[in-house]
Parts: sequence; C-alpha cells; structure tokens
Amino acid sequence: MAEFPLISIMIFLPIIAGIVTYPIGRASKSSTKWFALVIAVVELALGLFAYSQILVNGTGAKYNFVEGPAPWIPALKGVDYYLGMDGLSGPLVLISSFLTVLVILGSRDLITEKQGMYYALILLFEGFIMGVFTSLNMVLFYAFWDIVLLPMFFFIGVWGGPRRKYAAMKFLLFTFVGSVFMLLGFIAIYILTPQNTFNIPELVGKIPLSLQPLLALLFFIGFGVKLPLVPFHTWLPDAHVEAPAPISVFLAGLLLKMGGYGFLRFNLGLLPQASVDFGWAFIAVGIVTMFYGAIVAMVQKDIKKMIALTSINHMGFVLVGAFSGTVVGISGAIFQMFTHAAAVGVMFMLSGYLHELTGTRDVTVIKGLKITSPRFAALIILGSMAAMGVPMFSSFLAEYLVILGAISVDLRYGIIVLIPVITVAYFLWMMRRTVMSAPIEGAKHHDLGTLSTISLLAYLVPLIATLIVPWLILGMADPLSESLVKVIAAR
Amino acid sequence: MDIPVILVGILSAAALLLPALDIALRRASRTFSAYFATFVIAISLGIVLLSAVGVIPLTESVAPNLMRNDLMGLFFSMVVLSVALLVSASSIDYMKNEHNISIYYSLLLFTSLGMVILSFAVDFLMIFVAWELMGIPTFILTGYRKKDLASNEAAVKFFILGALATGILLYGISIMYGLTGSTNLPAVAAALSKLSPDMLPMAAFSVIMLIAGLGLKLSIVPFHMWIPDAYEGAPTTVSALLSAGTKKAGFVAGVRILAVAFPLLKLDLTLTLAIIALATMTLGNLAALTQKSITRLLAYSSIAQAGYLLVGIAVLPSTNLGLTGLLYHSFNHAIMQGLAFLAAAIVAVRLSKTTLSSYEGLSKTMPLTSFSLTIALLGLAGMPPLSGFWSKLVLFTAAVEGDLTWLAFAGLLNSALSLGYYGLIIKRMYVDEPSETIQVREPAGFTILLLAAAAVIILTGIYPAPIYDFAQRAVLALTP
Repeated sequence: MAEFPLISIMIFLPIIAGIVTYPIGRASKSSTKWFALVIAVVELALGLFAYSQILVNGTGAKYNFVEGPAPWIPALKGVDYYLGMDGLSGPLVLISSFLTVLVILGSRDLITEKQGMYYALILLFEGFIMGVFTSLNMVLFYAFWDIVLLPMFFFIGVWGGPRRKYAAMKFLLFTFVGSVFMLLGFIAIYILTPQNTFNIPELVGKIPLSLQPLLALLFFIGFGVKLPLVPFHTWLPDAHVEAPAPISVFLAGLLLKMGGYGFLRFNLGLLPQASVDFGWAFIAVGIVTMFYGAIVAMVQKDIKKMIALTSINHMGFVLVGAFSGTVVGISGAIFQMFTHAAAVGVMFMLSGYLHELTGTRDVTVIKGLKITSPRFAALIILGSMAAMGVPMFSSFLAEYLVILGAISVDLRYGIIVLIPVITVAYFLWMMRRTVMSAPIEGAKHHDLGTLSTISLLAYLVPLIATLIVPWLILGMADPLSESLVKVIAAR
Repeated sequence: MDIPVILVGILSAAALLLPALDIALRRASRTFSAYFATFVIAISLGIVLLSAVGVIPLTESVAPNLMRNDLMGLFFSMVVLSVALLVSASSIDYMKNEHNISIYYSLLLFTSLGMVILSFAVDFLMIFVAWELMGIPTFILTGYRKKDLASNEAAVKFFILGALATGILLYGISIMYGLTGSTNLPAVAAALSKLSPDMLPMAAFSVIMLIAGLGLKLSIVPFHMWIPDAYEGAPTTVSALLSAGTKKAGFVAGVRILAVAFPLLKLDLTLTLAIIALATMTLGNLAALTQKSITRLLAYSSIAQAGYLLVGIAVLPSTNLGLTGLLYHSFNHAIMQGLAFLAAAIVAVRLSKTTLSSYEGLSKTMPLTSFSLTIALLGLAGMPPLSGFWSKLVLFTAAVEGDLTWLAFAGLLNSALSLGYYGLIIKRMYVDEPSETIQVREPAGFTILLLAAAAVIILTGIYPAPIYDFAQRAVLALTP
C-alpha cells in the first residue's frame, strides 16, 4: 500500500486545516464551524475506510498502510518517519475521528468565545492524536505524544472554568514530567540494544532481558500518568472539572487512551519478559486504581467530577486486561478503550448541557429532570447505562472480556467483578437524585434541541452496533492480541 | 577560498570605517549605521552559508597555524553571525533613541569579529586575542546606557570578573606553553602525548585553569554570578548577544582546547564535568523558577542551557555524538535564546516594564510577539517537534551512550522543571487577563524579525537533517 499515503493524509489534513482555520475564524465565525466540521467528516470517512479495509482483510495482527521507514535525519540512524496501523491503532483512530465530529457538533452550543482559535486547536489536536496512534518510530511517537499537550493546555487554560489556570498548569507539568520518563526509556532502548534504532517493529523481541525491568518501570510512570493510575492521577479531576464539556470528551475519550495504547504497544509488545514477571504488580496497581476511582466517584457532588473519576475506574480495566496476557484480556482492553471513549464522551457532553440547562452540576441541587427536561433525562439514563456496562451497550462486553481474561490467569483477580457493582451503585444514586426526584416547585421546562439530541444519540450508535456485532472490534483486536500473546510466549 | 581571512577583512574594515562614515554622512540619517552594520553582518553570514553548502570551496588558510579553515569554524561562525544579525537588525528599532549610535554598531561589529576569529582559532595566542577582541566591546556595550545605574553596575561587575577570568585563562595558557613549548593546538597535543608522567599534575592544573577561565563566558556554575545582573542591566539586545553569541564562541574555544587535550592527557575529567553540568542546569532552572523579571529569568535559563551544552563535552572521551549534540544545540539555543531576549526587549520598550506580571494578557495586545516568544520558550523547554527538542535528544542520547545515564535522567527532569517557568510565561500571555487593555503597536520590522526566527525554530525542527548533518560533519572534520 505504499502508493497512497493514507495515514500521512489522516495526520496532516487536520493539522494543515487547523492552521488555515485560524484566519478563517478571524473573518467569519460560522464558516469556521462548518469548515472544521467538513474536515472532521472527511477524516471520519478516511478513518472508516482504513478501518474497514483492515477489518475485512483480517490483517489486524500486522501493520497496514505502512509508510516508511524514511530517514528523518539521515545522519542519525534510526530516527525515521514510519507510520502504520494495526488492530490496536485501528479502533483508536476510528474513535478519534468519530469523537472529533461529535465534539465539533457539541461545541456549537457550548463554546462561544474565540471560536477561530478553538476550532483550529480542535483540528490540530485531532491530527496530533492520529500521529500518536499510528507512529511506529519512538521519536516520532514522542513528538506527537508531547505536542498533544499543547492544544489541551490551551483548551483548559483559555476556555476552562474558574480554576482553569491552576488546572492547565498542573495538567501540563504532570503529563510532561511523565513523558520525560518515557523518553529516557526510549533513549535507553536506542543505545543499549544492538539494533540502534527507534523503530518499534524492528525492536520486537530484541530488548535485552536485563534491561526490561528498568524500562518497564520508566514506561509505567510515563504511561501511568496519562492513563492515569493511582498515584499519578491527581491532575485528572482538576483538568476535567475545569475543562469545557467538549474538551472533557477529548480528554477522557482520547488523551487517556494514549496511556492504554502505550502500555499495550510498548510494555507488552517490547518488554514481554518484564510484563510477565511484574504483571501481578501492574494488575495490582490497576485494581487499586479501579477501586479508588469507583469509591471516590461515589461521594462526588459535582456530576462532572464523578464522571472523571469513573474514567479512572474504567482505565483500570484497560491495565488489568492488558497485563492478564491473554487473548481475551488484551482484546477486552482494546474493546474497553473503544467503548469507554464513546460512553464517557456522551456523559461529559451531557454534563456540559446540564450546566447550560440548570446552571449547576451539583447532584444535590438538581431535581426532577424527568419532568423539566424529558429528552435530557432519557439521554442521561441511556448514557449512564452505557457507562455502567449494562447489556445493550458493548461496555458490558468489554468489561466482561477483561474480567474473563483476568480470572483465567488467577482466580483472585476475580475481585474486580465488584467494580461494576460500585459503578452501578453511584450511577443509580445520581439518577435517583437528579432524574427521578420530584421537580422543584415552579421549575421551568427547558430541554435539549433536536440537533443536540441527535448528536448525543450518535455517541451510543457504535456502542449498540458493537454489542450486536462484536466482530466489528474483535475482528480487529483478536489477531493483534494473538500476535501479542505469541510475543509473550516466545520471550 | 580562505573564509576566516575574508571575514576578518570585511568585519574589521566595517567596524573601523563605520564611525568615520557616520561622521562623513552626518546629514544622511540616524539609521545609516544600523543598516550598514546589519548589511555587513548579513553579507558575512551569506559567505559562511555559501561556503557551508559548498558553493564556495574551502581552501587551506594562509596562516594554518593560527586559524584553521574548517567546518567547525564555519559552523560556529554561522551560529554567532546569525545571532549578530538578529541583534543588529533588532537594534534598528530598539536603540533608535540612543546617542552615539554608530559606536554601538561599531562595537557590535568588533564583537562579531572576535567571535568569528575565535571560531577558527587553533592557536592559544590567537584564541586569547580573539577572546579579548570579543570581550572588551561587550563590557562597553553592557554599560552602553551610561546614565543608567543598573547598566553601569552590570558593566563594572562584568568587567572585573571578565578581567579576572582573562587572567586565569592566560595563566593556564602560559603553564601549557611551559610544558609543551608551543601555543599551537596540534603541536600542544603532540607534545602532551609525550609528556613525562611527573608533569601530569601540572598539565591537569593548566587544563583546570583553562576551564575556569573559559567558564566565565560559558556561564557554568560556579562562574555564573555575574550573569543575571549583567543581562538585566545591559540593553536587552546586548543581553541577547551575550547569551546567544559570545557564550557560543566561548564553547568553540572550549571544544577546540578540550577535544585536543582530553584524549591525550589520560586525564579523566568526565565525572567532574558531568557534576558541573548537573549543578549548572539544576541551579539555573531552580533559580529561574523564582524570578520576577523576565530578563533575569532568561538569564538563569541561559545558565541552565549551558549545563545541557556541557554534557556534550563531558562525554567526549567515549563518544563523538556529544560534540555533535553540543554544536547542534549551540545553533538551536542561539536562535531560541536570541529570539526570547529580543521579544523581551520589544515588550520592555513598548510597556516600559520587565516584570513577569506585565506579560499578563499579552496575547491580546501584542499577538505576534507573544506567538514568537511562545515558540522560543517551548523550543527551550524541548517541546517536539521544535528544534530544541532534537538537540536535547542528541545530547541526552550521547549521555546514555557515554555511560552517564544518571546525567541524561537529570537533564530530562531538568527539562521538565524548565517547562514550569516557561509554561508560566505562556500561561500569563494566553490565559491570564490583562490588567489594562492598551492596544500596543507592534513595530513591523521587528515583528517580521521575530517571526522569521520563530519560523527557523519550527522549520529546523520539522526538517532537522541539514543542521544536524552540518554539525556532524564539523565534528568529524575536527580531528584529522
């Protein structure tokens, strides 16, 4: 497929369009939105095309649409421009392009200031995140990984809530420090393996065993900050609470996935020995993270903070599934990343609309949504079901696969079946208080518009589709998981 | 062609003629000397660049024992002349209300001349002459605003320490001459390899004197005390010249001396230099975190960056990659630091304040300046894909290769630390609200200059191959 640089187009179309968007935004506000939307839709079409090609051909185990390796700095061996998409990148690329379209739609109502810059940054963010998920060279990967922080820093800092300055700086510093550990790991791999390269495919199975534990630790910190894992998670609630709702969708839906992607791509793919030896430790951290996220979410009054902590809880599943080292677990982890992006995306958007409708996000204050805002109430019930993992939505299947994978390794990991119980508990409690309660006397009827309702329902489409036909994801993820399990077995 | 001699001819003629021409053309205009100096420096830079890409072939120098016409010299000439060009072009606006402007540009040309000679010099005496030629005009330039107390204080402080350092440098050179009987670097190297072992302590002493003497210009800890005061007191364009220009010229002298002395002396300075590098970057970054004035902050950041550069020298015995990284980072840092100082200069002129709080909401009043400054700061922090990222990557990779993984780790953590204060400035410009919304006009010429420098940072970041390649060839050409 060397003829058509599909992935490069998917990366650079939004980046270039983003730069163009800014001057358009200076001229006309409404045309920026349309321009950004058109680009995002084109991107989604490209994503769908790429995804369906890999899915239909069943080639998720290997890299498709490979470009390169083309030397970036010829004099410095191993720094190449090298892209490809496999069963791990595929679902993430697809959900990224999907969420971008919905975020742009959702921002129509919620973002009113500095629109030119806002949509420019949205498109830049999309391009960068595509780069993260498709880079096969560690330097290229690191470049995209770090530059993603910048749009996010401005999103939180410029369009955020009252404590946005603090949250933006905290976010920037936490994630940058984390990535520094990762970079040291990359440099160590480059120097200390005989291959002297940054290209990931050439390094599989080549990293000396003695080096693996140290690298695993460095990557654990680097990716753990993004995922985020306890104890590196403290930036996340702040960032989420302050970020505007559409940006929270990006943050939880895509940015966190970078951590999960890193764990699967680097820890499992490159450091199989360390992943087996210390898998129990990673799983333990994952379980702590899940319980922490779930329990702390329970006591939140701010609905947005509650959802943010739910993300922490759900990302624990990714870690446990990945380090179970089984086909089912790894596929479950990939599935979980995909479903979580959509499920938590709709919840964050709803929290944004809730603030628009009622002026607050405090669950103790909001009452009787079923009367005052019936459409909204229906959507929040559906969204909560998706987030809880109720069958009908594929979040259920993803969590089930992860639990299955974990139990098949060690029965004691079965403790994680308690997590959905806690999750269900706080979601039900939240709904009982906000939706099912009697409305305050004289509350006005206010509800979502038709367009907003449709754009919110769209989040749920992939969740239902992939439960009815799980092959849509597993057809991608399973070949990849099998190849990863082979790498682990051949360590 | 013999590049060093041509450059010496052009620059010294221009430097000497400029005041005379200015008197002769008194009626012409105040800006004549500014444009003339800028033009001369641009021509010199053009010659260097043409020679670097091979249009003008390199030939043996007429005085090969004094100045070696090689790629190392060309590389650093490119660095220092780029900085000189930035400084000179930005001074057109920044210095337009000052008196005696032709002297300012004449001194600037003399400094450039000293830096260029230093880039090519391979003889201790030549190095010393160039060192003084570069240093003395900068003392005067620092104190250029003679009615400004801070400027005077800075100049005196700089001068006293500078004179001391020169003395130490000369002392080191004289001991080296006593040991080897020559001032020519290759001859010194040859003599050192035959040195009797009981003379080794003397040689080590001489090398330490040399490092100490050079260290003042290199702004490495513990010779950094003068930096913040001098940079703050001097006209900000001169601070840019000191930080981005003369420091790099100091590094080329260090590279030429140490690359020769190191391998032959059987003297392990790696750990010493690594510790100095660590101390320099950590102290610079920690001190920068607490600054309230932009020039002082940039001064400390400049100290920290010297620490990164020093990593390249520390790993010299085990790998050449460090030296490549040093050259590469010299170029990138020169552009980024120069841009940052110049942006600070224009903000200081327009708002007549240098406090960090005056940057609040700057993106609304001076959008293009804010944008360029943001690029420079992110580059300094090592954010990919800007050029600063690549050179830091090379330097830290070299550190890991040279078995100094802890230093690479410390350096990377320092990068993260530095984002703390760089990010804070960006936050002030873009996130904070301005205390007063006065629309400030951004001078067109100056802004174009800033944007051009920002473009260099972005473009050499996206396509870093040519500069890296140049740096690597320069290092390979260093040792015949």
